[in-house]
Amino acid sequence: MTGRALLLRLGQMVFVLWVVTTLLFFLFRMMPGSPLAAYIDTSMTPEQQTILLHQFGLDRPLYQQYGLYLFNLAQGSLGFSFIYKTPVGSVLLTALPNTLLLTLSSLLVAYAFGILAGAFLAARRGTWIEAVSLPFVLASRALPEFWLGMVLLAILSFSFGWFPAGGATSPGASFPNEWARFTSLDYLHHLVLPALTLAIFLQGLPLLLMRSNMLEVMQEEFVVMSRMKGLSEWSIIIRHAARNALLPVATALALGIGSSIGGNVVVESVFSWPGLGRRLVEAVSASDYPLAQGAFLMIATAQVVMNCVADLVYATLDPRVGRR
Amino acid sequence: MSEDIKNPTRRDVLAGASALAIVAPSAFADTPGDKIRPLMLIARPQAVDPAQFQAAQLVAQEWRKLGLKITVQIMPPTQQSTAVWMNRTKWDMTTWEMVGRPERSDPDELTYSLFHSDLAPSGYDFVGYINPEYDHLAEAQRAELDPDKRAVLVKQAQMVIKRDQPYVYLVYPRRSMAFNSDVWDPASIVEEAGIGIRNFWTFLGAKPLTAQKDMILNAPQGTQNLNPVRMDPIGSWVTDMIWDHLVRVDIHGNPIPWAASSLRWIDPTSLEVVLRDGMKFHDGEPVTADDVQYSFEMPQTPGKAPQFFPNVVNIEKVTIVDPRTLRFTLKSPQSSFLTSTLSKIALIPKHVWKPIMDSIDGTTQTVEDYKELKHVGSGPFRFAHWRDPEEIMLERNPDHWSPPNLERWILRTVSNQEATLGMLRNGEINFLAIFTGDPTNVAELAKQLPNIKVVTTTDLGFQYIAWNLRRPPFDDAGFRRGLSMAISRKLMAAAAWNGFAEPAGSCVSTALPFWHANDSLLEGGDLAKAKQMLTEAGYANVSGELHYPSGKREEITSG
Repeated sequence: MTGRALLLRLGQMVFVLWVVTTLLFFLFRMMPGSPLAAYIDTSMTPEQQTILLHQFGLDRPLYQQYGLYLFNLAQGSLGFSFIYKTPVGSVLLTALPNTLLLTLSSLLVAYAFGILAGAFLAARRGTWIEAVSLPFVLASRALPEFWLGMVLLAILSFSFGWFPAGGATSPGASFPNEWARFTSLDYLHHLVLPALTLAIFLQGLPLLLMRSNMLEVMQEEFVVMSRMKGLSEWSIIIRHAARNALLPVATALALGIGSSIGGNVVVESVFSWPGLGRRLVEAVSASDYPLAQGAFLMIATAQVVMNCVADLVYATLDPRVGRR
Repeated sequence: MSEDIKNPTRRDVLAGASALAIVAPSAFADTPGDKIRPLMLIARPQAVDPAQFQAAQLVAQEWRKLGLKITVQIMPPTQQSTAVWMNRTKWDMTTWEMVGRPERSDPDELTYSLFHSDLAPSGYDFVGYINPEYDHLAEAQRAELDPDKRAVLVKQAQMVIKRDQPYVYLVYPRRSMAFNSDVWDPASIVEEAGIGIRNFWTFLGAKPLTAQKDMILNAPQGTQNLNPVRMDPIGSWVTDMIWDHLVRVDIHGNPIPWAASSLRWIDPTSLEVVLRDGMKFHDGEPVTADDVQYSFEMPQTPGKAPQFFPNVVNIEKVTIVDPRTLRFTLKSPQSSFLTSTLSKIALIPKHVWKPIMDSIDGTTQTVEDYKELKHVGSGPFRFAHWRDPEEIMLERNPDHWSPPNLERWILRTVSNQEATLGMLRNGEINFLAIFTGDPTNVAELAKQLPNIKVVTTTDLGFQYIAWNLRRPPFDDAGFRRGLSMAISRKLMAAAAWNGFAEPAGSCVSTALPFWHANDSLLEGGDLAKAKQMLTEAGYANVSGELHYPSGKREEITSG
């Protein structure tokens, strides 16, 4: 990719993000329900409602609110959360590491497994192994996540007691700092079940993608050529076919990482995982506009950036793309 | 719509006819009024509150039998609150609930706020009930300091509400909480009237039987703020234990001196309070009369502590008599003062909060939104850590004059309700503080495991259908009585709340036998009687559709 193309790409990204920001801004304000509803109590008087509206900046005309939001955003400020009364950035940041650790570890497991198993199944096309395993893969894609999570909980946690059922660390555990917490065995122990659930749910895509790509690639002339050269079948599969078949999987992974930033509401809820997904639900249901906008904007940014990364990776893996 | 155009014509003709003939009046009286428009009942989604959702469906079903068109409109909670609260003339009916809070063990707040006409325009009387007779009773009970005389007034007020039916009371829910009796001595877990076993006295007295000295509890969601001048559904469990109060509500619902060693009414508007000796804040500073005075004066600052402002608004002044004695002077006699003010206002250190107040002076920021980094109270528990949203941990304050038996109190956020039961079973939690799923599952678990003890308590709060008294036909008490008669409270408790509820008839729960009027319950469920009552009130059923009394027009054409 040339420097000019890269600049153009960046410009596109900024434009897309501006559109997303604008849509989010008006979308949340069109939503029924008022942020004041969360405060209804015996003690709430009309004067207090006015004070709150003023505090939230909701007493200004919409175009002013929008202008102010963009102005602050340009300076890197996402505003103050209505319900937390703290900067949106810091509310999101407390939950973000938990979400990233959960989703990235499960993506890693899912893609490593999916790629290998997909290549393997392609090589075993038409055998009983394929006949037995494919239905399982398809089923794992179709399973509702909450059901899978509950089953894993019932077996591995409640019956065998191997893993804790909720949270990211043991009750009362304390750590000198966040880094020590994330790298502790306790944290890892709590991570296993939610990550496993998510990984089982996620592995189907790379597996099926890899398998069908492999089947396609194995028909191509360079593979026939390699066979004629007398290379071993595994050498053909791993060194020649797999490299080519990986391209779409790499795109899927990049997009997967992008969408994982938002966390996974279902898995987070089942395992009481202190992640971003639940914050998001909380923000939307309380009409906490700044928090909801901030969270969705972060997700959109991650998506857009990872999309760009996918393009770049593609260019590296397949030089033909870059030259076009 | 077409009805509106047609009917006046017909009535004009009739009115003209009655002027002509003397026989006409009886014919006129027999002619029904306009057909009642389709009515809308707002309810929360099934996923949010399955019982309330079910109740709305059942109620609508019964009322359809009376010849009404009822649409159940499902709205998420915030949208529902906005629709009902902010647009007071725009809705017909809604499901609603009042939650039980310890300070509601005094009947004043609900008796007064829900139905006093002062609060109809924008306050808590959102149904728009206006009745001078009721206002008088509500004010009289507030001023009556003799509990027995006051109870008579409170019960009279409930009977007025029974007669006027501004609400269709449905049930007082029964809530189940549970604990592990291998970990906690069952004798040390106490039930508070209308609240349950999750209460201050349990946390203070719970005796560990084994090496596990930590109480680990669940909450379905985290909290946003741990602040002593703020109310919060979950946060208040925590702040109540970090910060002490002059008075606490005991397990029977009565106010008793706590940080005060004695309380004495000098006259109906002067209360003398003597502080307990030797109390200390968690930072080592003594609790002084100055701190106590400040604790009650600070929420009086206009616009700075909106939630607690109403609780201190009746205080004229707080004077320090001597280093351990304070005198509260009230603007008017207030029977609920001990419960609604002294048990509610947290004692806060002036050396911490005065600088905070100074820092937000002149800004729009309120003190209830202030985020403290340290949480300095004088209560029996000290703040240890808050790993938001995963857990909040408190630890025993050994310097307190009544220290707890347990070591650490750990509140875990468990969003998966079904998993809480598994966690109770495997020991990840040892106290089920709240369960929002099907309560039969908790009972089931206790049957399987002898070490899980369940305690089910009738709540201080209640569930009901509110109707908008500003809008016909709900402005007519006869109509309301008829509709209310059609609803069987027993059926509601059994079918919508799975048996975990008691039929309700007033805003004072049966959990408070001293204040609850036993005759307030309208059992309902008598459809024939309901029809008869509607007919007597002048409503006519014309080929399956209910019409207004003669001469009354439908004035509202859109919802």
